[in-house]
Amino acid sequence: MFNFELVNPKTLESVPALLSRKWGETMLLAGGTDVLDMLKERLARPQRLINLKSIPGLSYIKAGDGLEIGALTTIAEIAENAEVRQNYAALAEAAGSIATPQLRNMGTLGGNLCQRPRCWYFRAKDLLCLKKGGELCFAVEGLNKYHCIFGGGPSFIVHPSDAAPALLALGARLDLLSGTGRRSLALSEFYQLPQDNLMRENVLGPNELISAVKVPAPAAGTKSTYLKFREKQSHDFAIVSVAAVLQMDGRICQQARLVLGGVAPIPWRVPAAEAELQGKTLTAAVLARAAEAATADAIPLSQNGYKVQLTRVMVRRALEKLVK
Amino acid sequence: MAKWKPLDQMTYLGKGYARLDGPGKASGALKYTYDLKLPGMLYGALLSSPHPAATVRHIDASAALALPGVKAVLTDVHPTGTLRYAGEEVAAVAATSPEIAADALERIKVEYDVLPFVVDLETAMKPGAPRVYTEQSNVREPRVESEGDLSAAFAQADVIVEGTYRTQVQVHACLEVHGSVAKWEGDELIVWDSTQGVYASRDGIAKFLNIEQSKVRVICDYMGGGFGSKLQAGRYSAIAARLAKATGAPVKLMLSRPQDSMSAGNRPNLLAEIKAGATRAGKLIAFSAKTFGTAGIGNNARPALPLVYDVPNSRTEHYDVYTNAGAARAFRAPGCPQASFVMEQVMDELAEKLNLDPLDFRLKNDSNQTRQQQWKMAAERFGWSRRAPRPNASRGVIKRGMGLGAAVWWPGGRGTQAQMTILPDGGIEVRCGTQDIGTGTRTLVAAVAAEELGVPIASIKAMIGDTEYPYSGASGGSTTAPSVAPAIKNVAEKAKDKLTEVAAQHFGAAKSEVQLADGRAFVKGNARNALSWKQLCALLGTMPLVVHGEWVEGLSSAGVAGCQFAEVEVDTETGVITVLRMLAVQDCGLVLNRLTAESQVIGGVIQGISYALYEDRLMDPLTGVLINPTFENYKIVGALEMPKIEAIIYDQPERGVIGIGEPPTIPTSAAIANAVYHATGKRMRELPMTPDRVLAVLHS
Amino acid sequence: MQDQNESPVPIHDTAESPPAAAPSSKISRRHFLKLSGGGAVGTVILTAGVHAKAATLPPDAEVFSGSVSLQLKVNGQRRSVTVEPRTTLLSALRNQLEVTGCKEVCNRGECGACTVLVNGKPVLACMMLALDAAGKEIVTVEGLVQDGKLDPVQQAFVDHDALMCGFCTPGFVMSVRALLDRNPNPSEAEVRQAVAGNLCRCGTYPRVFEAALAAAQTAGKRG
Repeated sequence: MFNFELVNPKTLESVPALLSRKWGETMLLAGGTDVLDMLKERLARPQRLINLKSIPGLSYIKAGDGLEIGALTTIAEIAENAEVRQNYAALAEAAGSIATPQLRNMGTLGGNLCQRPRCWYFRAKDLLCLKKGGELCFAVEGLNKYHCIFGGGPSFIVHPSDAAPALLALGARLDLLSGTGRRSLALSEFYQLPQDNLMRENVLGPNELISAVKVPAPAAGTKSTYLKFREKQSHDFAIVSVAAVLQMDGRICQQARLVLGGVAPIPWRVPAAEAELQGKTLTAAVLARAAEAATADAIPLSQNGYKVQLTRVMVRRALEKLVK
Repeated sequence: MAKWKPLDQMTYLGKGYARLDGPGKASGALKYTYDLKLPGMLYGALLSSPHPAATVRHIDASAALALPGVKAVLTDVHPTGTLRYAGEEVAAVAATSPEIAADALERIKVEYDVLPFVVDLETAMKPGAPRVYTEQSNVREPRVESEGDLSAAFAQADVIVEGTYRTQVQVHACLEVHGSVAKWEGDELIVWDSTQGVYASRDGIAKFLNIEQSKVRVICDYMGGGFGSKLQAGRYSAIAARLAKATGAPVKLMLSRPQDSMSAGNRPNLLAEIKAGATRAGKLIAFSAKTFGTAGIGNNARPALPLVYDVPNSRTEHYDVYTNAGAARAFRAPGCPQASFVMEQVMDELAEKLNLDPLDFRLKNDSNQTRQQQWKMAAERFGWSRRAPRPNASRGVIKRGMGLGAAVWWPGGRGTQAQMTILPDGGIEVRCGTQDIGTGTRTLVAAVAAEELGVPIASIKAMIGDTEYPYSGASGGSTTAPSVAPAIKNVAEKAKDKLTEVAAQHFGAAKSEVQLADGRAFVKGNARNALSWKQLCALLGTMPLVVHGEWVEGLSSAGVAGCQFAEVEVDTETGVITVLRMLAVQDCGLVLNRLTAESQVIGGVIQGISYALYEDRLMDPLTGVLINPTFENYKIVGALEMPKIEAIIYDQPERGVIGIGEPPTIPTSAAIANAVYHATGKRMRELPMTPDRVLAVLHS
Repeated sequence: MQDQNESPVPIHDTAESPPAAAPSSKISRRHFLKLSGGGAVGTVILTAGVHAKAATLPPDAEVFSGSVSLQLKVNGQRRSVTVEPRTTLLSALRNQLEVTGCKEVCNRGECGACTVLVNGKPVLACMMLALDAAGKEIVTVEGLVQDGKLDPVQQAFVDHDALMCGFCTPGFVMSVRALLDRNPNPSEAEVRQAVAGNLCRCGTYPRVFEAALAAAQTAGKRG
């Protein structure tokens, strides 16, 4: 690990000023499970780490008219929270599917949303891939079974977060704080494709941070779930995941939100599939059409065509689980 | 010839009992090589080549040396400077902390002349592929073996099957990485090494350093797994010794996890083109295999084909292929799991063509009498008769199937020496230069000694893992138990004999009249007037009794059989294979410790499941690096994937001690693959059977 | 782990001008080799990190740099260590305090061998800074032993042979102990979930499940 100075601030308001306005010079430390990995591989070389855990009051789950979760809340706390499990099942299930018990006790919601890609070329210390300032994305012609089938180019990473697809499907917003003040941003506006910004997967500014995540109260008749496909159940990132939120009126779907994880550089909403569901009685045939529509735009690479099939199956199964 | 007591007269052997070092392992008290911290010790680290093929033009270590805390940099650790795989060691440092050592590695400037490379087996075989060794072709001369008249046999065969099979490269992934702590005392070197053979390590280190064997002592008290990858000395041990010499301080040098994956051995892959024929009567009569495999820059990727079954006419033609990847090393049952994956599927295919149950076909072609019994016993216990006669019988998306495969292993063991010291206060020390690689060897040393002397196991101090102790070979090939147990029994018999003499003198009786049993000595027929163990040993006065023993004939043998049955579920929409249950029946002669023997079998099955479904070392064709060197993407089976595993030890105490390490991992992937075929009607000819491959086959 | 700042290797920041076109699908091998042989590979470069102009620190913030002395409360004892900000809890425990029950296996949070309890919860010592553990209750596998007597979980691992080479064992013991502390009577499925982050290479998993369930019978909750 490259050495750094560690700053323990006491107030949230003091953080933006501690962050450099130049990328790479400073980093935020929360659960540390991704940041320390980046530092150990020397993929990041900040001069200063700002330790958010020293700030009181950033870890909480408030339920009332909607849900508010402090950015420093651990994944385990979210997975185990009764209110989240009751009314925001997709989020609870997503949180429960993340990594391992130990890592869920360490990792935080803010960190999970901001984690860097797991692409093996990006994480390989000695390889200068496109996202590290190199000239090519090795996944194009190299080993790409875990890479994206949607939204690729010029880099073909997938976004590794499980919490993000669930929160996006639940219509979450982020409270952000920067040197210029606070803002609220829809999670749907937070992530950006490599074609828009190759170096960063989200729109946070260099001296900006997430302070809280807000989820609107679900409308009556809303059900949600998160299904995650892994090569092995014990500790694995998603190959494909599906967050599904349905607002039902009897057997008729009023509104549907479907967001895929593990298949695109950002959490990938599939409006075409949602459209197949909205206003319809959810019969098996309707679900199958939605599953089909979810992958209509997929462009697989040489070794990840199976993800298209998996996506279809996982979408259908997630919907079946909710309709049952 | 020496003989064991009957099982019913044994206190420990044949039964199950906890291992002696269990409390120390469970409480974290035991020190492994990685845990050692000697006074003044420095931390070593290796700089690995990022290039799969290159020559080193120049190394500038000045910036590293200038870093505070860096005590030495070696720039000549590679013997030739011609690097043949990404991960080969280029330079080494010693520093006051592991963190500073890592900083120092970054400050070493290396100029490379980068060369063309090839990391893929089939690409390396193509004409014009970059050569791994400039002086020779990547495809080596074949090794051909043949028996009988193959073409006549194929002409005579009623059914013939043909197929191409592929297996992957598997890395050992020992949880304790390879590494050593080296310390000089004058011109004598002590190395604590995470090794499967203290003597092998000692000899290798002496050779690397060009010093006498008598100047090197190797110690391995506890080690975190080897599986064949730690049977030889590593270059890192010699580098640690050189760093220690250069700095005048002890040095600990452990590989990083990626370095361990890149450079510390692997099981070679396999490409096998198979043809086999059988008669309508159900006899396998012809088998031919043309095989290719890469052991990276090393040699011997040959599969053990044909495996298990009798085949009078056969021909195998094997080609080792060089690639720019780390050299293979022995890996639990070398050449066998990959051969089993092929052989057992070929057997199933023939059986199907003959309209025979796969089990019946095996019974007709397996001349091993033990396995004949095991097949029947296992089939009954597993419920094989409930197996659907046809493949792909389940309706619906999730399909179930059953499959089987055979285990086999050949070597016995010999050559171990041991020393026993009986102390005047009753203490018992056994010294033996073997080592415990997690198999329970320390416990077996104590148990055999305790059994022979009739004392509690806890009263034995088992001293192993040190070249100061009498010679024993490296722990590989399931040779340890059959080589160590007889030597311990032999040395204990000799000590018992001497103590009987001492007691006879005390009682004024003839030696033949004196009996030593249950830790007491008495004149036969007068057990009430016995000497306790302490009283007996006190008669030694001030001089301990020291006896030497060695491996003797009659207490061990070689050659085991076994079989495994698998039941799986295949999700035909996702390609996920779930192993529901495994049954393994395995013999190992006289069981020394039923608890640890069963653990070995369970562990072998689990490694087999991992090999079958998850593990795959991936070399990147674009950059030539090992792209999944850590456990994130080198996927090893975990707790949530565990099926129900039943391990049954098939007792044959009359055969004496036989090893059990290798065989139980051999047929697991084959049994699973056959079960997948039975479930789906589609044959998986490539490992690992990951969802992408399963889907591809199901939709083909 | 909220790391929104990156530019992982300080080569040049292309963020303002990302390459517009997707890479050609016909990259020649020669092209890459030239790239990889050109010395731009990470191992050969390093200059000291960019020094940010220190922003004004708020008066109540603590700043740690260079060598830092601190106390860690390990297994009920206060132990002094001198660390750098980057020193992990695992490194401090093993290399300084010689508390080596927590094992270093992957050093990347992928195996669970370094599992320790921090304020009662199982976490990975390799992915936590030592400075972050200051003031917290740290329990390692050694700390479960009371007056020389093994914890019931440890004893069950011994009795059920839930250990072979033993290198993963302390991590499994801590995960099981943490489970029983919060759920004294778990199902096998709950045991499996609790140790899903612990990797074993010898193949002890089924024995671990047996041991955990047996330990729950003998003494679930610690006194």
